[in-house]
Amino acid sequence: MSISSSANDRKKIAVTRAKKVGTITPITLSERSITGFALIRIFVGYLWFQQLFWKMPPEFAGLYSYIIRESQHTIIPGYGYILQHTFLSGCTSLLTATGCTLYVPLAAGVWIAELIVSISLMFGLFTRIGAILGSVLAIQLYVGLAYTDWIWTYGMLVLLCLALTAIPSGRRLGFDQWLAPRLQTAAHSKRLARFVSWFA
Amino acid sequence: MTHIRRGLLAGLLAGFLMAMLNFVTDGTPGRTLPDALHWFGVTIADPTLSRFTGFFVLILLGGIAGIIFGLVQRESVITIGRSLLSGLVLGLVWWLLFSLLLTNIMNHASSPLNLQFGIFLATFPIDLLFGMVLGSIYYQLQGQPATAEA
Repeated sequence: MSISSSANDRKKIAVTRAKKVGTITPITLSERSITGFALIRIFVGYLWFQQLFWKMPPEFAGLYSYIIRESQHTIIPGYGYILQHTFLSGCTSLLTATGCTLYVPLAAGVWIAELIVSISLMFGLFTRIGAILGSVLAIQLYVGLAYTDWIWTYGMLVLLCLALTAIPSGRRLGFDQWLAPRLQTAAHSKRLARFVSWFA
Repeated sequence: MTHIRRGLLAGLLAGFLMAMLNFVTDGTPGRTLPDALHWFGVTIADPTLSRFTGFFVLILLGGIAGIIFGLVQRESVITIGRSLLSGLVLGLVWWLLFSLLLTNIMNHASSPLNLQFGIFLATFPIDLLFGMVLGSIYYQLQGQPATAEA
């Protein structure tokens, strides 16, 4: 009897806890807040967009000095070594990418990734993919360059992109407003749509 | 008449956004704003005055584009899909008219359709963005619920 009673007590406590947990009010962003966030998203996308123009293809010349700086000032041990023996292998100059066989493919990858981030964020098109990719790129910049500039420069860029990852800001002033309801409807029957719908 | 007023407001807001983007341009803030004056062959010697005039001309042009957008939509309540698509088409027309034709004509280029990759990249996405934002704001101003099309 006592065992049963104590089991009942435990149940009651569990239910009370669950109720307490259940009382956490879900946060709903107001129309103004999400629209404001969408504007921030557009400006962050434009930030990435502008940075395409000082490292334009086919040479991507502007990027070279930054890769060199990253290889010299990175905060992660071994990161500089990897850069020097992969992407910068064969390079004969600190000023130009002469002799670097793998520099152009690396720079093209960076440029295309930044283009994807900027288009995704500016147009609110699968915004969270753009924001995640932006976070990765910004973390890479932080690792390589944070101690050569004002350290918060890249830290803030990481945090901005993480904030845009957390909030689906493309659902206002963006294509995600059109995409999200469709993907959510399809998500009931298709697993892939369920996965993809989180990114819109 | 409501659709024209809605289009005007959406256009002014989208124009304002586009003009504001110029203030976060690398280099001198607002350095590309006088381009809007250059489309009409206007040159103002004072750089500050030129930038602020360009700023207001962009907003004004946005308003005119918004009125055209509203006129095309007529009185009907439009879906988000149509709104965004119409906005993109408007952005494309804006790019063709201002960023391509008028810029080339005013710069005395060899052809009005002269285009370099860098200039295309700098103008095309931004003009499409203007159209998309205009369409999106127009849709929001209809006061429809977000899941209207779900």
